[in-house]
Amino acid sequence: MLVSDCMKGEVITVTPDDTLATALALTRKHRVRHLPVVLPSGDLAGILSDRDIRLAMPSPLTTADADRTDFLERTAIAGVMTREVVTVGPDETVEDAAKLLYRHRIGSLPVIDSAQRLSGILTETDILHAFVRILGVAEPSSRIELALEDRPGELGRALTLMSEATGLNVVSVIVPSLGRGERKTAVLHLGTIDPREAIDVLEKAGYAVGWPTLAREGGGEGEAQAGG
Amino acid sequence: MKAALVWDQSFTTYRFRPDHPFNPKRLELATSLIEAMELVDGDRFRVVSPRAATDEELLRVHAPDFIETVRRLSSPGTDQSDAQRWGLGTEDNPIFSRMHEATATVVGGTLLAAELVMNGEVDRSFAIAGGLHHAHRDRASGFCIYSDVGAAIAWIRERYGSRVLYIDYDAHHGDGVQGLFYSDPDVLTLSIHESGRYLFPGTGHPDELGEGDGYGYSLNVPMEPQTEDDSWLEIYRELVTEVAEAFRPDVIVLQSGCDAHVLDPLTHLRCTTRLYEETTRLTCQIADRHCGGRVIATGGGGYAIWRVVPRAWTIVWATLTGQEFSAEIPHAWLDRWQGESPCMLPSRLRDEPGAFPEVPRRTEIEATNRRALVALRRAALPVLRGWSMGF
Repeated sequence: MLVSDCMKGEVITVTPDDTLATALALTRKHRVRHLPVVLPSGDLAGILSDRDIRLAMPSPLTTADADRTDFLERTAIAGVMTREVVTVGPDETVEDAAKLLYRHRIGSLPVIDSAQRLSGILTETDILHAFVRILGVAEPSSRIELALEDRPGELGRALTLMSEATGLNVVSVIVPSLGRGERKTAVLHLGTIDPREAIDVLEKAGYAVGWPTLAREGGGEGEAQAGG
Repeated sequence: MKAALVWDQSFTTYRFRPDHPFNPKRLELATSLIEAMELVDGDRFRVVSPRAATDEELLRVHAPDFIETVRRLSSPGTDQSDAQRWGLGTEDNPIFSRMHEATATVVGGTLLAAELVMNGEVDRSFAIAGGLHHAHRDRASGFCIYSDVGAAIAWIRERYGSRVLYIDYDAHHGDGVQGLFYSDPDVLTLSIHESGRYLFPGTGHPDELGEGDGYGYSLNVPMEPQTEDDSWLEIYRELVTEVAEAFRPDVIVLQSGCDAHVLDPLTHLRCTTRLYEETTRLTCQIADRHCGGRVIATGGGGYAIWRVVPRAWTIVWATLTGQEFSAEIPHAWLDRWQGESPCMLPSRLRDEPGAFPEVPRRTEIEATNRRALVALRRAALPVLRGWSMGF
């Protein structure tokens, strides 16, 4: 999944000459926390976060409301914004973008295209949403865990066995790489309400399968199959 | 108290394949047990035959091209190349001859159950073949082609404008019904089910709360595998009571799938028949308090067709209708079916306390279930209460 697949293309921006009052109103109105600061030429001059605004504001404990409002209206964004902006390209992967956010401890990345124009913004929420889509339930399915030896062909062999025996559709496969070990756990979403046959085929072939197993005592008698 | 059990042999045409787990034999077993126990009398507690739903009734919840596809695929020899796109022709939902007619009859049965309650002819009804809660607007899923519950709720909304509380205690998440009414604040869907961590369909997380005007009107409580009766019932009692107080329904539609039972081969909840008796009783009490006693119940999942489904749904019917019932299963019924059954049929209607071994991780499981309830309450109840206070 690429940055362009999960970024927001409509960006709320400000100019360096806008006031903090304008910026604050925009963050509240659009419920955003980051405002890219763009020059009239279209170049990115900086970024203003809600944290920058709050840090620049006089404390509510010491100052009367009128002073605060006045201050916000007098102060230009140029004096408060962050000038060193970490950006990302639209064709980078979402996992690389996530790494940038994590490494720089920031909350959003303006997306700059090859023409150096601001083409979108990617926030931590967008990235979280992308990971939910990647890891989550794309369509109705049962989830099983499959322990695999870490060697070529293992996943393929298991999937072939299963699809030859059952004709089930595999909705998604995730094999997290958690470092060097002898075994990996593949998480399979199978497009069925009844994964018993698939589990049975895999177990008979020697694979360890995780589906809550303790309660399977009811399935042992072929009840549901019988009596037609 | 008057009640109607919607059933006749035409329901058994909803049959995918001879060896398919969704086996209509279970309906024969359950209704014959209800009859053998003399829980229908042809008068106050009568059996009524279903009719087929019309296209107009199906169109309230299904896309026209989906209905067209189901109808076309119902005739043998038609091109099936696009079937999978509609969730048909899969392992779960194989195509069978006259499947449009068969599933339209299931829908018609639940519509009839709804009509009888809404027009006041009966207080309670039980559409035993219904509860196809995985059917989506344009897609069959999890043994469900058309949404009988969806069509009945949509009809109630259109004809009476009533507020409908849909409670789904099938072990699987009621994703289809939730999806049909996801943005409707007059239909509150509440599903309590085994966590989607392993179990189909994988959804039913507490954060699925509805959208737009319907935000706060889709409620989901996932239960841990191996939950057992006590934790399940505690959560059901608290949540359903609070939700009904806040929502003030005009009628309750109850999906009574009985696949949370310990003997069910597809799930891991390890409950017993006590679950069906107590949830049904509690639901009826809540209906008496808030909506003139109106409950439209349906069947649902249930794959231990010999040892569980007949007993569970007999208990559901007896409890819905407030009838006392004998503890023993009549010999005549056992004699009729034991020869065909692959396992020894139980001789008592209720599971004996202590019949199944306790789960070792019980405390942890109960705590996790409670956390799900607390999270849901925090998110949803302010929205529901806000409505009831007229905000």
